[in-house]
Amino acid sequence: MSTSEVKPTKEAPRKLVQTNPDYDPNIVVETQNLSKIYRDFWGRQKVRALKALDLEVRKGEIFGLLGPNGSGKSTTIKLLLGLLFPTSGRALVFGKDATEVTKNERIGYLPEESYLYRYLTAEETLDFYGRLFNMPTKVRQERAKELIDRVGLTWAKRRQLREYSKGMVRRIGLAQALINDPELVLLDEPTSGLDPMGTREMKDLIIDLKRQGKTVIMCSHLLADVQDVCDRIAILYQGELKELGRVDSLLKVSEETQVRFTGVPQSAYDEIRTVIEKHGGSVKSLENPKTTLEELFLNIVRESQERPGHRSAGARGKD
Amino acid sequence: MVVEQFLNFGEWLPSAIFTFFLLTCALVVLGTFFGYLVAAFRHGPVEGFYVVAQTIGGAVPDVLGTSPRRIYAIAKLAAIEAIRRKVVIVTFILFGLALLLGGWFLNAGSDHPDRIYLNFVLWGTQLLALLTALLMTSFSLPDDIKNKTIYTVVTKPVRATEIVLGRIVGFAAVGTVLLAVMGLLSYLFVWRGLSHTHRVVGETQTLASLSDIDPTLRLNRYGQRVSDSAIKSGETTFDSGHRHMLELIEDIREKDSPPLDARNVVSKTELPDGRIRYERLIVEPFGGHSHSATIIGSGGPNAEIQIERAEGYFRARVPIYASSLQFYDAAGELKSEGINIGKEFAHRGYIDGGTSMNRNSLSKAEFVYENIGPQRFLDQDLLVLELDLGVFRTTKGEIEKRVLGSLQFESVPDNPEIDPIFRSERIVFETDEYNVQILPLKRKRPGEKLRPDGSVLEQREFDFFEDLAKNGKVKLILRCEDQNQYLGVARENIYFRATDSLYWWNFIKGYLGIWSQMLVMISLGVALSTFLSAPVTMIGIMVMLVLGFNTKFIKGLVSKDNVGGGPIESFYRIITQKNMEVELEPGLATMVLEQTDYFLVSMLGSLTNIAPNFSQLNFSDFLLYGYSVDVHRLAAALAVVAAFCIGLTVFGYFCFKTREIAK
Repeated sequence: MSTSEVKPTKEAPRKLVQTNPDYDPNIVVETQNLSKIYRDFWGRQKVRALKALDLEVRKGEIFGLLGPNGSGKSTTIKLLLGLLFPTSGRALVFGKDATEVTKNERIGYLPEESYLYRYLTAEETLDFYGRLFNMPTKVRQERAKELIDRVGLTWAKRRQLREYSKGMVRRIGLAQALINDPELVLLDEPTSGLDPMGTREMKDLIIDLKRQGKTVIMCSHLLADVQDVCDRIAILYQGELKELGRVDSLLKVSEETQVRFTGVPQSAYDEIRTVIEKHGGSVKSLENPKTTLEELFLNIVRESQERPGHRSAGARGKD
Repeated sequence: MVVEQFLNFGEWLPSAIFTFFLLTCALVVLGTFFGYLVAAFRHGPVEGFYVVAQTIGGAVPDVLGTSPRRIYAIAKLAAIEAIRRKVVIVTFILFGLALLLGGWFLNAGSDHPDRIYLNFVLWGTQLLALLTALLMTSFSLPDDIKNKTIYTVVTKPVRATEIVLGRIVGFAAVGTVLLAVMGLLSYLFVWRGLSHTHRVVGETQTLASLSDIDPTLRLNRYGQRVSDSAIKSGETTFDSGHRHMLELIEDIREKDSPPLDARNVVSKTELPDGRIRYERLIVEPFGGHSHSATIIGSGGPNAEIQIERAEGYFRARVPIYASSLQFYDAAGELKSEGINIGKEFAHRGYIDGGTSMNRNSLSKAEFVYENIGPQRFLDQDLLVLELDLGVFRTTKGEIEKRVLGSLQFESVPDNPEIDPIFRSERIVFETDEYNVQILPLKRKRPGEKLRPDGSVLEQREFDFFEDLAKNGKVKLILRCEDQNQYLGVARENIYFRATDSLYWWNFIKGYLGIWSQMLVMISLGVALSTFLSAPVTMIGIMVMLVLGFNTKFIKGLVSKDNVGGGPIESFYRIITQKNMEVELEPGLATMVLEQTDYFLVSMLGSLTNIAPNFSQLNFSDFLLYGYSVDVHRLAAALAVVAAFCIGLTVFGYFCFKTREIAK
């Protein structure tokens, strides 16, 4: 997979291919030159939300979409789900056009805010979504029970969602996303509204999904969360892809080296490399230090603001 | 009420399917063209073509992949939504309040209290049911899209067909339950409101309370005219806004022939000629109903009178209308229509009773009835003919008598050159132009049998079913028997009354009419809400409602050659102060005016075809006037509803499929 190659942003004509004859089952999501322009009623261009996005998400990875507000993350997710139609380019999910409804059989989606029917109870909610997957009654009931247990809402399963707290709604939202045991899970801001415990559980669950062989695409503002769970990330800014790569590579600072040691007094800090052994201490690790994702993210945004239209140089060649 | 003849459903269906097919084709062509214009504007002319082809082609797998379970899921959701959003509960409360308070204001003592009660409940039910349908459907899908709850639905393998159809089914289910409960409550309300009984005015509830009649004036002690066979008369108490007259009548019957009603027989005596003389107590009808009287104990002044509950309100009359009506003028010549007496002509044609110059007028109206058989009449020995005649007087005539008419039956032979003709004697009767007249006729009728050449074969008593209407067809000839007077009839004005249909079943059929209207509204609301916001959907439905309830009027506007031209020409005439009759100067301007009007009127005509004809689905008048809703008419209404549901589902599918949900 090309990780850092970004194709030119020129719009290509929309191709009307439903399925990809060269479908590689290891590539779950593929976007080619995907662009989206929002227009007003008269067809005049309002916003260019996404510019020629090329992405590939491989089976079994946790892929993070990062970017400030209005960067095109949600647009990308909506295009992948068929909630929006691309202006040009195409989005393929499991080798099928994103607007094709049958692809949804294998997808689970947790929206940014849990857009659920407030007048339904937790049980009714899961029963409803289970029916949409044409699941037989018995399977549906078992699955609903299991998921309600898993998100810890058994005690409130007969209450209408309007009585739920934000965190509880988020949990039931996650449960509905997993009702069909999906192969691909799209999570829009999965930890928003969750308390620290809930956030931890959500992150554990995402890692658990990966362990089960599922593919996860998530977008989040909470960089620490992304850093904790994602294998690869893409950073978008004003509709353009600014960075794409493995989290550990992106966060590696190759010009510097980090030494981790222990048992050395504070006064010996100035002569670290030459003196450690002289003082009889032991070197624990010797490697390149890592910045935080937050720092990387802010650097890219700052650089993009200073030099609009350019790909960030901050982490190129670190794949 | 004039019940217009409705074709047999089997005859109606092919032409209806043809119209549906033509309309569908026109809409498909228009829709595709419009869709292509939009797609071409967005994607360019070539790409636009592919987009349209892809959208239409994609409908096939979507339809094939439609799952009943998903439809059920969405239907259930729609139903829960309607219930938990309290739309239905508020409707119930409003309806309950209307029933509770309405009873205070309805006048049970009027001429036809049943019509007032039924009109109230039917109108209330219709209004509330349609309003509920409007509110349920206009807000559901637009709110789902606005609140983004639709995101979690369309990201599941749900087809657009299921989203549209599921909603229609869900709301229809809620509406059906709502209507069923409202119908039941209405039935109980009407039954309770009209059910009443009376007591006899007098010191005792016995025959002693009846008083004698002045034999010369035929007036009772209250100054009311009594019937010819009355011996004694009395009155009931004033209950439910009215009172009835009681009459002890003399009823002489053939030997071994039972009385009409055994319960109200006061005495029975055998006459010297072998016939039997019954004395029976009857309660005179009032305001469309009557009561049975029961005599308890042996006849004599101490026999107790018990007046039963009101009966006759809940009727579902089954009229057998003539299949054809022909008018003949004074010279006996067949005419395409009756005599025109002026304003009323549009409905009834008139026949004359001769003038002093031409005493022997041959003017007559001939009705031909088909499918007449004994199985259609409950009492096969007594046929009931109902007449709703118009009378036009050129002189006031005899002040105490009404205008006379006569009826005569004649067989309609299958082969007029060979088969004999049976003709009954004329039955002369007094007309009553203010009421529907009920003429009971005996099955055995005196008359003559004629050869095909018209010579008399024999004269005797003939059987109505065996001789006159042997092949199921019978001719009825109406004549006016008073000189200088005219009788007016339309085809629906004289009909045989077959066995009444079951009232509760007719009541259900009446509500099925409202149900049909509601279903069309629901389908329309769901289809419009796939691409319009809630307020615009509401406006759209209301426009369709106005069009639908006034289809007849609009079709009239379109079909008639309107004097003074269409809207543009009329406006031009107003501002230039030209009256409607003045010819406009020929020229380009006039041509533009006329062509614009022609275009507008044609557009209006097309709109009436698309808008549902709600009057076709409205059976309230049948219930109000006590007529049975014929099954053919009901079947046609249901077929129309099915056609609208299918058409609107397809329309809604394409609208939803081609819109961007997340925009």
